[in-house]
Amino acid sequence: MTQMLEGIRVLEFATNVAGPFAGKLLADYGAEVLKVEPPSGDPSRTAGPFPNDEPHPEKSGLFLHLNTNKQSMTLNLETEEGREIARKLISHADVVIDDFRPGVLAEYGMGYDAMSAGHPDLVMASITPFGQSGPWRDYIGTEITLQAMGGPLHGNGAPYREPAKLGGNTAHYHAGLATSLAILLARFRVEGGGAGDWIDQSVYEAQAGFRDRRTISLTAAAYSGLSSHRQPPGSRTALGPRPAIDGYVNILGGGTKRFGGFLDEIGRPDLKDHPDFGKQVHQYSAEYQEQVEGSYQAWLFETPKLEAVARTQKHGILGGAIMSTEDLVNDPHYRGRGVWETIEHPVAGTFEYPGRQLILSESPRAAARPAPLLGAQTADVLTQLGYDRSALPRLRAQRVI
Amino acid sequence: MTSNARRERDAAHRLPLEGIRIADITVVWAGPHVTQLLGEWGAEIIRVEPVTTIQPYSRGAERVSTEAQYRALGASGVSMGIPPDFDPGEDPWNRSPAFNAHARNKKSMACDVRLPEGREAFLRLIEKCDVLIENNVPETIERANITYDVLREVNPKLIMLRMPAYGLDGPYKNYRGFGTHVEGMIGHHLIRTYDDGTPDEMGDAFTADAIAGVMGAWSVVAALRHRARTGQGQQIEMPLAESFLPVIGEFIMDYTMNGRATGPQGNRHPSHAPHGIYPTTGDDQWIAIDIATDEEFAALCRVLAAPALTTDPRFRTAGGRIEHRTALDAAMGDATRGHDKEALFHALQAAHVAAGPVHDDLAATRSPQLEERGFFEEITMEGVGTHRYPGIFTKWANTPNWIRTPPVKLGEHNEEVYLDLLGYSRADYDALVARGLVGTTYTPEVLKGRD
Repeated sequence: MTQMLEGIRVLEFATNVAGPFAGKLLADYGAEVLKVEPPSGDPSRTAGPFPNDEPHPEKSGLFLHLNTNKQSMTLNLETEEGREIARKLISHADVVIDDFRPGVLAEYGMGYDAMSAGHPDLVMASITPFGQSGPWRDYIGTEITLQAMGGPLHGNGAPYREPAKLGGNTAHYHAGLATSLAILLARFRVEGGGAGDWIDQSVYEAQAGFRDRRTISLTAAAYSGLSSHRQPPGSRTALGPRPAIDGYVNILGGGTKRFGGFLDEIGRPDLKDHPDFGKQVHQYSAEYQEQVEGSYQAWLFETPKLEAVARTQKHGILGGAIMSTEDLVNDPHYRGRGVWETIEHPVAGTFEYPGRQLILSESPRAAARPAPLLGAQTADVLTQLGYDRSALPRLRAQRVI
Repeated sequence: MTSNARRERDAAHRLPLEGIRIADITVVWAGPHVTQLLGEWGAEIIRVEPVTTIQPYSRGAERVSTEAQYRALGASGVSMGIPPDFDPGEDPWNRSPAFNAHARNKKSMACDVRLPEGREAFLRLIEKCDVLIENNVPETIERANITYDVLREVNPKLIMLRMPAYGLDGPYKNYRGFGTHVEGMIGHHLIRTYDDGTPDEMGDAFTADAIAGVMGAWSVVAALRHRARTGQGQQIEMPLAESFLPVIGEFIMDYTMNGRATGPQGNRHPSHAPHGIYPTTGDDQWIAIDIATDEEFAALCRVLAAPALTTDPRFRTAGGRIEHRTALDAAMGDATRGHDKEALFHALQAAHVAAGPVHDDLAATRSPQLEERGFFEEITMEGVGTHRYPGIFTKWANTPNWIRTPPVKLGEHNEEVYLDLLGYSRADYDALVARGLVGTTYTPEVLKGRD
């Protein structure tokens, strides 16, 4: 059985989250991805979590997760010989992913113009905080600063205090995913007889095009001249996150077509006879709000979160529980669907990882190979390029690899 | 290197999905984002939508709202449903920001796949399409009898992307939810909660829609590539929940490695301090600052010139700053409070410190960087007006790209699709219109049923 992306050769000169996530998606569904790491390794090898909190370059949970199914070689691009090897590798590659600061690749003699001359099929994808052009091109960007500027961060949290970022590295995962999409599009064009291209992905712009409210709020701002604001907790009756007996739920009851079923379920069918029933949630009177909220919260106080969700879902009411990673990993739904994949790594050990995202009827994903040890394939790759094995000690001594 | 100028594209640099036709029966946010992205890169998107019922939360307008209500909503900071100039007009379903933000480069045909006449038109469309995309509750697709097994009989090479919230099987199969509910059910809501707060303070985030939209488009292009090489179509099952799991992969790994559930993180970072959102002059004005190293902290102190930061021995080392970050955040707030966020942003960047102003929607539309890169595009939609829309979020050096057609109105392409593409006779088409099954407005019964 062939996997969807078999036969695509990818070189990854990228670190941390965004570029490696772009490469991981390609590798997980069949592409051959060679990760070219600096001799010190991708910095994500020093990021946790580590088993038992003991740092080790082969045991970083972040690195192990983002680099499944890849191969690794080390190369020092600060040396001319390292850059020469990189240029040879690029001349044999279909796709290059990089996250160097704008201009660095060209300084290395590895820029798109140089590398695509005589290799028009090449697809090169460069991920930077702000893009290859514009007044802020050389500015530094990190997860929280890019969410703040590009994304919907100002709308997250409560109005009486500072806004809050989204979890973890969401902006960089999203930008990596956007880059991976662009790579596939460009490669599809190449395989259909067209040309490759240089993809310029800015994390900032990916955030500005983020469909977590941002594109919608930007359109609304153009329509109305207004910005959205953070809303106070509990501001919408029977709608939004609320405490249950064992955690929190987020159920959309108030003001919906299914509100009658909701009131039945919380034991207040009488509130369907109130004149405010059937109105939009922001039109409820204070007295009706109080009655509905009081009954809802009393009901939640004796109802476990997943039970509250199951009982309201029966009525067609949208909602969910607010789960922890512990809830998630042990949840029978996800476990039963096989979303966790057990991967054995020779140094880190055997753990469950987030596995496939897609169930494909004709080209299922193969079982994952673990993330590579640093430089595991350096010797093999150099031999394929025509280096004699006896040259390896010299390259190592000269800090090329 | 790149700009959005509408330069000509040569044949080698055509939009990659030119010639691919996609039927779109998506609703709400995530599915429409998939077809937005595929349309932007050249696919012909045909949105199949009923005029015999209003799909909730999709085009808006399932309720009657007045200008006064929209103004009240806007004043309370809920802007996403407000039509241009607060005016719902005669056709509010063509004027919703939530819909129009994704609906460029699409066509619309009126068709209710649940009715026999609609089913016939839909199956004729499927014969002529490469891809079908849907994100309904699984039982809706089963009830309409348009599962992949049925449709592959009509078109054996069809690629069908199904995007339920939680899966086509399992206990949560028919659970209904928006992106905000899904992000709770996969652990993201708790992680993004204030580290000293509770989940009910956080409001909604629709991050699961944003991720699923791009991943859905990714999966379709991958499947198109597979089909080009093997001739095989296929069904892709991509639950919103499962597409999001890798995005919190490191937190999941902490649990599977160490048995440790991640608590609320808020603006905290495991190894950076200060790392947060700090007040600046003005109402609800903030700046994000992220310090990883002692050198960066020294540069920050030079710019802020605040003795409380510079001289406090607790803040001298990275370890000390992490240990005392509550005190550090308080001192940071005191130091930033008197600064203008834009001026401080540029001053800190000049000192090589990662900082960024918190931009609300209006501020984002005025970003000189987005302006220079041509991110926003001015589009005229007949009867709705001329507005600036967020554009295409990836630039290609040699493939200039822009929004080709304005957000699509309900049924705008009825004639083109029924007559030219599906080969309906004028008489058959007119009969569908006369019976209220095809049109450019919802039927009178539907409109009467609104409140």
